[in-house]
Amino acid sequence: MWQVYFKELTELMRDKKTLIFVILLPIFIFPVIFGVMGLVLSSTTNTAMQAEHRYVIINAEQAPQFADALFYHKNFKQIKTDKTAEADLVAAIRNDEFDVAIVIPADFSAKRQAAEQSQWQIIYNQSSQFDFMYRYFSELMTNFNEQLQRDTLTQLNVDPAKLAAIIKPVDVQKVDTAAKRENIGEKFGAVIAYILVPLCLLGASYPAIDMGAGEKERGTLETLLICPISRVSIVLGKFFTVLTTGLIGALITVGSFGIWGAIIGSFAGMAVVQEAMSAIAITELILIFSLLLPISAVFAALLLAISIYARTFKEAQNYISPLSIMIFLPLVAAMMPGVELTTKTALVPIMNVALAIKELIKGTADYGLLALIFGSTLVLASIAIGFCVHWFQQEKVLFR
Amino acid sequence: MIDIQDLAKAFALGKNSKLSDTEKQDVRYSKEAFHSVRNVSFSCGAGEVLGLLGPNGAGKTTTLRMLSTALKPDAGSVLLNGVDVLKQPVKARQQIGFLSADTGLYGKLTAFENIAYFGRLHGMKESVLKQRIDELFTLLNMHDFANRRADNMSTGMKQKTAIARAVVHSPKVVILDEPTTGLDIMTVQTVLDFIKGLKQAGTPVIFSTHHLDEVASLCDRVVVIDKGISAFSGDISQFRALSANGDLREAFLSVLNVVTNQQGAA
Repeated sequence: MWQVYFKELTELMRDKKTLIFVILLPIFIFPVIFGVMGLVLSSTTNTAMQAEHRYVIINAEQAPQFADALFYHKNFKQIKTDKTAEADLVAAIRNDEFDVAIVIPADFSAKRQAAEQSQWQIIYNQSSQFDFMYRYFSELMTNFNEQLQRDTLTQLNVDPAKLAAIIKPVDVQKVDTAAKRENIGEKFGAVIAYILVPLCLLGASYPAIDMGAGEKERGTLETLLICPISRVSIVLGKFFTVLTTGLIGALITVGSFGIWGAIIGSFAGMAVVQEAMSAIAITELILIFSLLLPISAVFAALLLAISIYARTFKEAQNYISPLSIMIFLPLVAAMMPGVELTTKTALVPIMNVALAIKELIKGTADYGLLALIFGSTLVLASIAIGFCVHWFQQEKVLFR
Repeated sequence: MIDIQDLAKAFALGKNSKLSDTEKQDVRYSKEAFHSVRNVSFSCGAGEVLGLLGPNGAGKTTTLRMLSTALKPDAGSVLLNGVDVLKQPVKARQQIGFLSADTGLYGKLTAFENIAYFGRLHGMKESVLKQRIDELFTLLNMHDFANRRADNMSTGMKQKTAIARAVVHSPKVVILDEPTTGLDIMTVQTVLDFIKGLKQAGTPVIFSTHHLDEVASLCDRVVVIDKGISAFSGDISQFRALSANGDLREAFLSVLNVVTNQQGAA
C-alpha cells in the first residue's frame, strides 16, 4: 500500500496542475477574496457616505429652521424648481434633475399653531444599495421634531429641567452581548466554510481523476492489477494519496485564511476583521482542520470511486462536475438565516461542517456537537471507503 | 509451463444496447452478452515461444488478460507452472511478467523509477533490484535514458522501459501483447533478441503479434484465435503445413477461412 502511496505522491508533486490546485489556489484565494471584498465594500460605502444629494424643498418658508439645517448639511445640495405636484417631482427625479424632493404642506405653520399633526413627504429613489440620504434626512427630522416639541412645551411653561424626560420618556441604552468576533463570525463564518469545503474537494479532484480514469486511459492500471499485491492495498494507497492532497489543500487554505485574514485586517484598516482574526486561537484553526479531515476522506473516496468507474479523464470530469455543484446545496443551506447547529443539523453531511466552522469562528462552538459531527462524518467516510474498495474489485467497473 | 484448457469469458451487454446487423450474424453475440472468448486451449512448455495470432477483436487480448489474472475466466482453467490462477491469483502473479498492448508507463516517472516501482511491488530488495535494473539496462541498451521521464521518451524508449518493467522480477512466465507494434527496425530487433534470450533461459514466452516474419523467426508454437476460439494450436511446422508452399500468411488465412465456413454452416 505504501509503495503505491509514495509513488502516486511523487508523480503528483511533479505535476504542475496539482501544484496549482492544491497549493497555489488555496494560498491566493483568501487574499484575493478578502482584498477584493474589503476594497469594493469600503470604496462603495465611502462613496455612498460622501455623496452629495441634490434636493428640492417645497414650501420651505413653512419650516425655515428645517430648511436651513438641510441647506447647511454637507451631504445636501439645494436645487431650485418650479414643480410642486407630486407627479412632476417623481418625473423629475426619474429624469435625474435632482435626487430627492421634500414636500412641506402649505398649511404646516397653521397646523402647528392649532397643535395638529402634519404630514410631510419625501420623494426619492430608494433602490440604492446604501440609503445614507434617508439616514441623514431622518437625523435632521428627529432634531427638528425635538426642537418643535421643546418650543411647544416651553410655550406651555413646562419646567425646562423636565423637558428631556417629557420629550423622550424612555431612553434605551443598547448593551450588545455579542462580541465583535461573534458578530463577524455570524456574518462571515458560513462564507468561510463556503470557501474551505469546496477547496478540499477541488484539491482532491484532479489527483483522484488522474489516479483512476487517468491510469485507465494511460494503460497503467492493467499492469498494476497484475502485481502481487491485493486490490485493497492498491485502493488504499490511492485513497490516502487523494486524501493527503485534499488535506494539504485544506491545511494551506486554513493557514492562508488565518494569516491573510490577520494581514489584510491590519493593512486595509479593517479593524473589526483584525480583531476577530486575533480572537480566533490556534485551537480553533486546528479544530476547523480536524473537521475538514473526515469530510476530505469522504470526498477522496467518492472521487476515487467515480474516477475508477470512468473510462477516460474527460468522462471522470463529467461525472465529478455534478458532485461539485451538489456540495454547494448543504453549504448554501448552512448560510440561510436562522439555521443553527443542533443535534439534527449536526447529522447533515457538509452542512454540519459548515455550521461548525461558523460556530468556531464565532467562538460559540459546542464541543459535544463538534464530536458528533466528527464521529458521524468519520462513519460516512468509512462507508465511502468501503464502497470504493468494493467498486475496485468489480471487473465491470475496471474493464468497462 | 503454461497450460490453458477450455477458457471462456463473456461481457454483459447493456440493457438498452442494440446489436448491429453484423453483430447479429456474429456467433459471439447473444441478447445478454458478448462472448469474447468461447473456447481457447493451448499449452507452452519451458523454453518455448508461442505466437498468438488472430485478427483484431478475435479475443487475443481477453485471453492474455485472463492468463495474467487481470480478468477472471467464466469457465476453463489456467495453470502456470502448476499454479492455478483462479485459486491462487497472488501466487500466479508473482510468476508472470506481462506487457500490455499499451506501454502503460507513468509519465512523470523516469525509466529507472518506473521499473523500480514494479520491482518493489513484487517485493524485491533494494540491492537486488538495482542490480537487476542495471542488468536490464545493459540488455536492452537503456543506459542513455535511464533518468528520462516517460513523458519525454520516444516510442522505442517507452517500449524498452515497459519490457524491462515487465521482467524486472525475473518472472517464470512472460506474456507480451504486441510488443513490436509501432517500433522502428532497430528497436524491433532489440526486442526480438530479448525474447530469444528469454527462450534460451528456459522461460516460456507467449506473445501476440500481427507480424508473421516474427513468428517465423521466433516461434516454436502457434495458436490462432478467431471469433473467440482457438482455431489452430500446434507447432510451427504443423502450422506451415497448412499451406502448400509453407507460407505462413496462407496458413493463417486458411485457418480463418475454416472458421468462417463453419460459422456460415452453423
